[in-house]
Amino acid sequence: MENDGKRSCLQPPHEVFWFLLQRLKAAVHYTVGCLCEEVASDKEVQLSRQTIAAISEVTFRQCESFAKDLEMFARHAKRSTINTEDVKLLARRSNSLLKYITEKSEEFNVERKTKKKKKLEDENKDSLEPAEAGGVGSEN
Amino acid sequence: MADGDISDNEPTTRTLLRRVLDTEAPRTPRRRQSTRAGVQRTPLGTPFSMRLRSQTKTTAGRQPHRARSIGRLAHIQTRGQLKEQTPRTLLENILLTAPESSMVMPESAVKPVPAPQVVQVVQFSRRESSPGSLELQLPELNAPTTLAPGRLTSGRRKKRLRLSEFQQGMDQELPLSQGPVTEPPGNTGASSLSSSLNLTFATPLLPQSVQRPGLARRPPTRRAVDVGIFLQDLQDTSVATAFPDTVLEDTQPFSQPLIGRSPSVHHSLPYPSLSAERTVSRRTRSSGPGLQNNSPGKPAQLLAGKAEEVDALAMRFPNTSSGTSGVDGLEPLLGGVGEEVEERMEESMSLSEVKEATGAQASARAEEPEAHTEVAEAEGSWGAIEEKELEGSSGDKDTEGRTARPELASSTPEFPRARQLEFLEPAPPTSTAVGLFRQQVIPAPSLSSEPLEPLSARLPTRLQTAGPRLRQDPYKMGLSHYAKLFSFYAKMPMEKKALEMVEKCLDKYFQRLCDDLDVFAAHAGRKTVRLEDLELLMRRQGLVTDRVSLHVLVEQHLPLEYRQLLIPCAFSGNTVFPAQ
Repeated sequence: MENDGKRSCLQPPHEVFWFLLQRLKAAVHYTVGCLCEEVASDKEVQLSRQTIAAISEVTFRQCESFAKDLEMFARHAKRSTINTEDVKLLARRSNSLLKYITEKSEEFNVERKTKKKKKLEDENKDSLEPAEAGGVGSEN
Repeated sequence: MADGDISDNEPTTRTLLRRVLDTEAPRTPRRRQSTRAGVQRTPLGTPFSMRLRSQTKTTAGRQPHRARSIGRLAHIQTRGQLKEQTPRTLLENILLTAPESSMVMPESAVKPVPAPQVVQVVQFSRRESSPGSLELQLPELNAPTTLAPGRLTSGRRKKRLRLSEFQQGMDQELPLSQGPVTEPPGNTGASSLSSSLNLTFATPLLPQSVQRPGLARRPPTRRAVDVGIFLQDLQDTSVATAFPDTVLEDTQPFSQPLIGRSPSVHHSLPYPSLSAERTVSRRTRSSGPGLQNNSPGKPAQLLAGKAEEVDALAMRFPNTSSGTSGVDGLEPLLGGVGEEVEERMEESMSLSEVKEATGAQASARAEEPEAHTEVAEAEGSWGAIEEKELEGSSGDKDTEGRTARPELASSTPEFPRARQLEFLEPAPPTSTAVGLFRQQVIPAPSLSSEPLEPLSARLPTRLQTAGPRLRQDPYKMGLSHYAKLFSFYAKMPMEKKALEMVEKCLDKYFQRLCDDLDVFAAHAGRKTVRLEDLELLMRRQGLVTDRVSLHVLVEQHLPLEYRQLLIPCAFSGNTVFPAQ
């Protein structure tokens, strides 16, 4: 029903939504095409256009499913923001992917912590002593 | 009036109930039940069956019910009017006509001290409260007087019953006139109740096998017998692999309309417990400190884990709702038990699906080996729901659990969510099992979730205690059962290798299902699997969507009893059951 509404002349919101969707799909298709070209040149195989189109369509639908799942997971944990935990839960099926994501998330956390520490140090230099103590305390 | 009399003696359950009844306005059965320590919430539509069941239960379990019935009786008497045919009146009539033979035993007469006093009190209050309704009681009195004639007569004659006289009366069993008509009907029940009460106090663990001449008159409760025999067989014989075969051959495996039926089908002893266990283990999945005393427990757990998977799988399978074909014939054995187990199993969401999808699932579940587990499961689940005392009371735990199950509207918020993994002790309803049940959740399906792997690792050690024969048997038997169902539905001959493959797939599927549940629970920062986890799982499976909610599935596929337990419903008196 919604598709029909989008296709035919319907209320503006539907049409606008559909247009945005198409643009998003086109962007995904373009990105997938670039990646496929890279892989093709690496493995020295040819990929037909239909293949790339199929891959992009699958990617798009999978992203939709991921988004729904992520939202479900976040809600299950009684949160309103999707977290890295949700992403890890989503990727638990494939071990390698899960490992990869976990490593990346750890890196990211470490990075964030060092950034924060730097920030705090800067603030400490600028602000007064008590403020520094408070900041350090909170940081710790 | 009654208070003055009652205050003379220590208040017994019956007297207290009577007092309450006299003071309380008559309410709907449900409401009244709720006031009765919430022992049972079954609709009064089945008072008789309840009564029978309660009678089969230990006296302890019986008392509250009896007391309640008596209370109602007294209440009606006080009203002095014959109400229209309500469940209460029916119950009263039953109580009046059917002798409390079970309660009043020949030995009970020998117990003079507490009984007479209670009887006295009862008689007093009764007499005073219902002078007008005496005539009503008259016609029904004749039957029950045989057992306790002495009591009947003595109560009426004198205000103060002398102990010696009472004893004499009891011993002689003088068939006195029906003068004390008013009392006898009520008193008989009351006295029997009191005597039974006293008996209970004295020998709380008195097994039901004690001679009860009164029981001979009543038609034996099918469930009780079945369970007893069932337990016996469980302990005596091994989980025979032949069972599933015979079961399948004897009956149409998939004629089962409901999954609920299938568990009760367990003609094979191991099965019922297994299925129950399955659901239980699935739920709690808790390695359960001390949960598994018996080896069957472990396999049951695994199987329970699988149960849900199977359920889910069942859904996948020929979703042609032809599933009702299920295992009709499989039932007979533990009809009641099966029900209980079934209910338990039904609690899991997937169960509802399975029901609808394939009756085969039900039969498969019924066929699950491990009768013990099933039994234990039923017990556990039942116990969890029921009063704990009832469970612990006697070896009839199974019976109680099973019978009570349908009656007892457990407080589980929602049936499907109530994955009460009551980890049960298989076969023997040991106190540990009872304790386990008590630990288990009742109102909320909170189950300790543990990864299946540790459980399976523990399984071998536990099984060894019970005997190597049981090792892996329930688990594999369950899988093989499902494989057989699969081959049945395939409607064409299948190779053995194909069946093995199917078993492997089922195994992995169930394990994954349980792992998912575990992960979901951990994701929410919980250690017990709850209804929300199951709902999330079903959502991922595509069973629960934005259009189809869990409640819709429950309503579509579960019988009313299960649905009642799962979906809160408002009853009269502004009570909501199950409580949220």
